[in-house]
Amino acid sequence: MFRRKRKMSDFSAEIEAHMKLESEHLHEQGLSEQEARAASRRAFGNVMQAEERFYESSGWVWWDQLCQDVRFGLRMLAKNPGFTSIAVLTLALGIGANTTIFSVIEAVLLRPLSYNNADQLVSVASTWDRNGVTTPYSSSPPDFFDWRDQNRSFSSMFAYHMSARALTGRGDAKRLHIVVTTAGMFSTLQAYPIIGREFVAAENRKGADHLAVLSYGFWQAEFGGLRDAIGKTIELDSEPYTIIGVMPHDFRFPVQGSDIYVPIGFDDKVMTQRGAHYLRVLGRLKPEVSVAQANEDLRAIMSELRRLYPDKDGKWGLQGELWSRVLVGDVRPALLVLLGAVGLVALIACANVSNLLLARATARQRELAMRRALGAGRLRLVRQVLTEGLLLAIFAGAASLLLAHWALLAIVRFGPKDIPRLASVGLDTTVLVFSLGVSVASALLLALLPALRSSGTSVSGLLRMSGSSSLNAGRARSALLVTEVAISMTLLAGAGLLVRSFVGLRSLSPGFDPKDVLTLDVSVPDAHYKNSLALESYWDQALAKLRTLPGVTSVDAVTPLPLSGDDFSSSFRIESRNIPDKDEPSAELRWATPNCFQTLGIRLRQGRTFTDADRLGGLRVLLISETAARMFFPKGDAIGQKLHFGASGGYERNEGEIVGIVGDVRHFGLDAPIAPTFYVPLSQAGMDNATFVVRAQGSPAALGQSARKLIQEIDRDALVGEPLLFETLLANSLGQRRFYMLLLGAFAVLALVLTAVGLYGVISYSVAQRTQEIGIRVAMGAGRWQILSMVLNNGLRLALVGAAAGQVMALMLNRALKGLLVGVSTTDPSTLLVTATVLLMVAIVACYAPAWHATRMDPSVALRFE
Amino acid sequence: MSTQEARERLELLQGTLDLLILRTLIFGSQHGQGIARAIQQSSDEELLVEHGALYPALQRLEERGWISAKWGTSSNNRKARFYSLTAAGRKQLVKETTKWKRFATAIGRILGHEAEG
Repeated sequence: MFRRKRKMSDFSAEIEAHMKLESEHLHEQGLSEQEARAASRRAFGNVMQAEERFYESSGWVWWDQLCQDVRFGLRMLAKNPGFTSIAVLTLALGIGANTTIFSVIEAVLLRPLSYNNADQLVSVASTWDRNGVTTPYSSSPPDFFDWRDQNRSFSSMFAYHMSARALTGRGDAKRLHIVVTTAGMFSTLQAYPIIGREFVAAENRKGADHLAVLSYGFWQAEFGGLRDAIGKTIELDSEPYTIIGVMPHDFRFPVQGSDIYVPIGFDDKVMTQRGAHYLRVLGRLKPEVSVAQANEDLRAIMSELRRLYPDKDGKWGLQGELWSRVLVGDVRPALLVLLGAVGLVALIACANVSNLLLARATARQRELAMRRALGAGRLRLVRQVLTEGLLLAIFAGAASLLLAHWALLAIVRFGPKDIPRLASVGLDTTVLVFSLGVSVASALLLALLPALRSSGTSVSGLLRMSGSSSLNAGRARSALLVTEVAISMTLLAGAGLLVRSFVGLRSLSPGFDPKDVLTLDVSVPDAHYKNSLALESYWDQALAKLRTLPGVTSVDAVTPLPLSGDDFSSSFRIESRNIPDKDEPSAELRWATPNCFQTLGIRLRQGRTFTDADRLGGLRVLLISETAARMFFPKGDAIGQKLHFGASGGYERNEGEIVGIVGDVRHFGLDAPIAPTFYVPLSQAGMDNATFVVRAQGSPAALGQSARKLIQEIDRDALVGEPLLFETLLANSLGQRRFYMLLLGAFAVLALVLTAVGLYGVISYSVAQRTQEIGIRVAMGAGRWQILSMVLNNGLRLALVGAAAGQVMALMLNRALKGLLVGVSTTDPSTLLVTATVLLMVAIVACYAPAWHATRMDPSVALRFE
Repeated sequence: MSTQEARERLELLQGTLDLLILRTLIFGSQHGQGIARAIQQSSDEELLVEHGALYPALQRLEERGWISAKWGTSSNNRKARFYSLTAAGRKQLVKETTKWKRFATAIGRILGHEAEG
């Protein structure tokens, strides 16, 4: 664009030189000096025209005009600070909402995982088909080995599971996040220790497996980053592990990171454990191999395995999916819905500002007509309007960054912790580019109608200031407003559905009473306790100690704790029935102390609960949940049945007699289905982990730290978790839902407010325009009520049309919410009705002020109004 | 009336003027007034170049890189902007000259035939 930087003055100097040379030449030829000057001018022609042509050809015109437009635009904005600040604020809210949600999407969905060629990493999972729904599951070691060795699609593959272990022997036990993995982790993730070495396949064997590769953070914290850490030992659950390496500082696996990586120690019987599903598998695709191709490969392998091992693998499927997708599986649709919502909010903001510009354009019609008359081209006028829109959007864009910054701080602070990488959200370059893009798009959008109008005006019509064109403007503004109302309606209805779903979930009973109950998770190192008897006495001792705390009414223990995110399931066999191995049903398994059911308020439905007599050596007993009783013993003959359970793989089997039926517990959260559950007495199982549930009067939260101390006094190496109120766990289980609901709700309210402001603006403006008409009506004897209803009618007609269109839009668009709703249909009529009512009420309020103003008009003033 | 004539002449001369300027500069660098004079003289005053039209043409040629310009001093000690032919300009001159000659011959043939018939 900047072709040449020759200045106008240089060109003028050249022409002046030409004149002098020419007149001197003519003078030499004998003309008088004066004649010579006149002749040279004649010969040259029009100097000004030459200069103009030079200027126009120089490529600087557009720049000069842009500068003019910008200067003029800035002057216009500065002259109307009210208009400018409302427009900028409106746009900033719209753009800021977009920037915020996009930042979240960028951090959670778009930013590639921090591994080399992360798009080659595929999560490979056993799948379980039930009722046509395919659920990915953990995998068993023999299956993993077969997949790894038989596939032709992956360059490497590894299996791992997560574990929490206690760091012992270094003061109070600390809870560590451990990845227990096969050696393939390093080559698959293409990440290797910065000092020391990685472990090798031969070390994935019981006896050779007590090795540890440290994360960089753990190395820094525990060994001050000293190289001589290599070769030292650390104790995990009181067992020694030799440190062999340290990973790079930017290495995190899984995504949220962990403290230590240790080899899985497979024993000799590993190949018999085909039913033991506890491993997660990740593979790296060979270059040029797609996920679909890999899946074909995997399916063929699995159908062969099903044929070879019908009893163990018969019902399992196999599926690979991009790991980056798996990580955000349930978050993705929700975030995309939110992105759609903020897009709609931005549209409303643009419509509002567009409306303001249209109103102002009408006021500026004479000016525009004058400019046209003086020779400004249509394009020039359009450009002026666009420049003004762009200026507004740029100011708004800058302001929106501040808004987004605050919003993101709040999201990181108060948002759910289980959305991966949400904490890493920030305004980085990608986000800034997006934000700029949204700003420019908004500018074009909001300037579109005003620009079309400014270019379409005829000079003569405008100078005469005929009424017809302002009528057109009115129509354009009404159309914008109807759109705004419709969009608001859609957003409000969507938010309403989420609220209904959430309230519905909140009102569900979890099946227990979480009020005034403190939970405290405790694990003891196996190495300290020779046998089940020793463990039994440990739990007895701990329970007795906790009962001495002030205000405590009862203390019990259960594992896995409902809502903790942990669970344990097992297949089982009913002794009285003859069912082949592979058709064994499965159920959730929990271990609990006798009084646990009273403490947690889980109802006994039939039979008895555990008693203190149900100990090691006593009759092996079981309780089952109502759902389990209904599912497995539909004839109501549950009590007295004997069950054999325990995973059919390498785990030892257990047995027990059903002595009672208890109420259902929503273990996986209020929004998850109820699973059939069995309870086993904690003391009969030799558990090394359980969660204490402490019911106390007053504030149980205050007991937390003293409870921890008491437990640590018994065994210093016991791993004591953070004391948590059961109510907090319950609230957290709906954390993501609350997050989406609040965000969508906030956007809907924002949309509603913007629409109300828009409605107010349009009605006020139309009242101002109809001042004379209203004056005449009043003078002719129209009452206040008539004027009021006339103006209100005007606004409400728009609102009604918008609401009707919004109902249709809501029915179509809110289908996207399907996955986020529980117990509410996306077309829930009562939600739509309530939404429409709220919207119309807000519309009445927005129209009332200008309508009231109209009734106060003094006809004598109104009639003279021009 | 007169402006219409001038406009017609300009349009007619559009390509030709460029060629004439390039041709003039083959004898060495020259300023605008010099070029105008040279064209007039070498055409035996047949062609009347409006001096004002010369400068946009110079401008155009300079943009295309066929001529380059530099301020210098004229023979009678006046500051003037001197134009000279670039290598590209030289090539262009050859091309344009050939084209113009073919064009002139062709037109000449047609007009010749018509004159005969």
